[in-house]
Amino acid sequence: MNRDLRFTALKKTPFHSRTSLASRTNKYYNWNGFTVPTEYSTTELEYTAARNGTSVMDLTPMCKYMINGSDANRFVDYLVTRDLSQMEDNTVAYIIWCNEDGKVMDDGTIFKFSDTKFMLCCAVKIYNWLHDSAEGFDVSCEDATDTTAALAIQGPTSCSTLKNYGADDLELLKPFGMKQYNINGYDVLISRTGFTGDLGYELWTNPANAENMWDSIMEAGKELKIRPFGMHALEMTRIEAGFIQTNTDFMAAEDSLRPVRMRSPYEIGMGWLVHLNKESYFVGKRALKKEKETGNSERCLVGLDIDGDKPAVGSVIYNEKKEDIGIVTAAMWSPTMKRNVALASLKRPYGIKIKENIFAEIYHPEELEYKKIWAKCKVVKRQFFSPERRNKVPADLYE
Amino acid sequence: MSDNYDVIVIGAGHNGLVCANILAKKNRKVLICEARDNCGGLLEESITNFVPQIPMSVSSSLGGLPVKYKAKSSIALSESGQHIRLVGNQHIDHKVISGFSSKDADRYVEFHDKMSSFSKALGSFMMASPPRIMNNTFSDYFKLFKLGMNVRMLGKKKFNEFARMIGLNIADELEDNFENTLLQGLIAHDAVLGSNLGPRSPGSLINLLFRMATHDNSIFGGIYEIDGGSKAFVDTLLDISNKNKVEIKTSSSVKRCITENDKAVGVELHNGEKIYAKKIISNADPRSTYFSLLGTENLDTDVKRRIKHHRSKGKVAKLSLSLNKQPEFINCDKDDLESRMVIAPSIDYIEEAFNPSKFDKLSMEPILEMKLKNSDQSNPALDIQVQYASYGAQEGWDNIKDNYVDAVIKLIEKYAPDIQSCIETKAIVTPDDIEKNFHVTGGHWHHGEIQIDQLFMLRPIPGASQYRTHLDGLYMCGAGTHPGGGLTGIPGRNAAQAILEDA
Repeated sequence: MNRDLRFTALKKTPFHSRTSLASRTNKYYNWNGFTVPTEYSTTELEYTAARNGTSVMDLTPMCKYMINGSDANRFVDYLVTRDLSQMEDNTVAYIIWCNEDGKVMDDGTIFKFSDTKFMLCCAVKIYNWLHDSAEGFDVSCEDATDTTAALAIQGPTSCSTLKNYGADDLELLKPFGMKQYNINGYDVLISRTGFTGDLGYELWTNPANAENMWDSIMEAGKELKIRPFGMHALEMTRIEAGFIQTNTDFMAAEDSLRPVRMRSPYEIGMGWLVHLNKESYFVGKRALKKEKETGNSERCLVGLDIDGDKPAVGSVIYNEKKEDIGIVTAAMWSPTMKRNVALASLKRPYGIKIKENIFAEIYHPEELEYKKIWAKCKVVKRQFFSPERRNKVPADLYE
Repeated sequence: MSDNYDVIVIGAGHNGLVCANILAKKNRKVLICEARDNCGGLLEESITNFVPQIPMSVSSSLGGLPVKYKAKSSIALSESGQHIRLVGNQHIDHKVISGFSSKDADRYVEFHDKMSSFSKALGSFMMASPPRIMNNTFSDYFKLFKLGMNVRMLGKKKFNEFARMIGLNIADELEDNFENTLLQGLIAHDAVLGSNLGPRSPGSLINLLFRMATHDNSIFGGIYEIDGGSKAFVDTLLDISNKNKVEIKTSSSVKRCITENDKAVGVELHNGEKIYAKKIISNADPRSTYFSLLGTENLDTDVKRRIKHHRSKGKVAKLSLSLNKQPEFINCDKDDLESRMVIAPSIDYIEEAFNPSKFDKLSMEPILEMKLKNSDQSNPALDIQVQYASYGAQEGWDNIKDNYVDAVIKLIEKYAPDIQSCIETKAIVTPDDIEKNFHVTGGHWHHGEIQIDQLFMLRPIPGASQYRTHLDGLYMCGAGTHPGGGLTGIPGRNAAQAILEDA
């Protein structure tokens, strides 16, 4: 066997020629084997564009799998905890899936084209898992990560931008709806989905159309405060929206070396996605049923409203007796809401029954010295930011 | 829906029958559904040659099992006529081996003592249901502790020796001890019999220990023939079943397990009939149980993976030759012909026979274990276990069957030159045939390899030990469960106990 032992460079996405041109900082990172910008100019500016104009992000490195076959409907329902038997064609659903112990492997979105065709998008690579799960079902699973270019177009003016780009009647598309377009002579799938908790869309197309798509959208949004944004800005928006991120807010079951680090859906606030009364079996159902019946979930993932303005990044959370009761998984000062917010994984009953009198120990770096802050926290809804425009139909339009 | 029965047993193999009868004796209303038109499963003349004795613990829980056994000695045939016949008695065997090498004779006694003490240490563990560590119960830890103690009580020296040998291959150990290649071949043959291992494969030694644990803790001592053949044994079990009012439905192939609220509540037959019961027990192999009865759509992905990777490719074919007269085996007297005759003249010979099977191919010089039947009558027969006859052989069994049979006969010719002229008919049952005719995935005697990754609490797969499956109300009692195949009835007995515990 002739093996080339040289290191393989990170892959470039089909938008790379454009994202690299737009990048002033040359800051890239490795996302799923692709090189993508962490920020183009300054994170604050990009964040502001996402909340006030249109932001554009290269989503291509997201894992994408096509699931085809006569059993696709049954298979998808078997794979995930949510009951998808009533899911309509051309809609998208937020889902999680578990292993046999009922521990969460990842979250993602499932796109339903028809009973025999689905697309699954997620953060962690699961081709092997899909393949092995498919045993006994008449389905084929195909990794479409490299063959599908994806862009996130998010922000209050995103609908207008895309209308200018050529997506007619897009304002009528409902949240978690999707629609097939033909724009500039190529097929584009547009779904009203996103990771910013705001009005926003995601576009899916063949990589050959990527550059034209980027250029046309940038042109279309010229008057609508369009700006590419990188991972750091996305991180800010997703914390505000209260979205969880695998291997940040919880460890993916297959990635945890320590079994005690694995989390069930009930322990990361995803219990609402577990439909135990679903008629058919799904992976992890027996274990989840047992956990639900015995109520032995140990942790919970909650939103925290923290006193002061210093972000509680990585803080340990204590009760009033100064006992360690959990840890902050993501934290920020929210410029939009002027609130100091965080997501935290707490040991029950803290976060569920006891929501007051808990404290974060914040180490705030100030020029080579740490300022230690003992800040009072309040358990709040994880969804810190959820503007009305997010779910409005028809979507807001701007000139 | 009403529970017509307390228990439905799927499959009337000997373990299924044992399990059913123990439950029936405890006043359970039991039905057995058997796909074939007769009972006994692999316990059949066309499959079985020699058997161990059913342990007392099993026969007593059936209220006695009136079966007569004939002890069999084992003879390693040699082309030169210098056969070695061992009976399982230390003194006699010592004397026999002395005839070839006095060093080997002494070593054999030592070796046998050592192996015997190890197999005894495993023994108590073999009989009971294996512990399940995931349960975290005291009794499970105690069982494990007891095994540890059993082994540790052997003494420090033997404990170290046990630890050294547990993953060893049998060839190394035999070559360290013996100089006679025929003796090495005979012991190595028994260590790899029914498995996917060659004498030089790691783990072949524990395979022998496992065999010894069910064969009176002896290498050649616990080998028997059932008086009246397999049929007599099955008939006895059927008599008992009759007495215990166990209902048996033959030609009733089960299509799937009926579930309700994720609990097994009955079975659906291939003819559409539905029968309900409180508990369902499968005597089928693990893969059939999980993939066919339970259904892939009711299994977690991890479980599917484990079942898919469960190793159950059979390697033994049975060739039955009916003869018009008794063939003349070179230098064999009447006792020799009454013995279990083994053609496996050396370790290297066995390893050569094994090599092609790694690639699912066939060696034309296989190893044989033969039984001459009705030797004093006009219609003698020669029953031959042929190893390594790979399941799903690359050559294609349909194409090569005749050539293969001829090769086996040619091989026997070296030891019995007139065999050709004695043969009336020949019939071979390959692992593929076993799979098809007996519904055993892979046609494996033991419903799955007896290997360290598929033993004790890992048998058949992690999470399904202790005779319970992943589905509430569905149990397993076949050879695929601990301690494995062979005519022991232990899986059936232990499964019945598990069910009684849960009730």
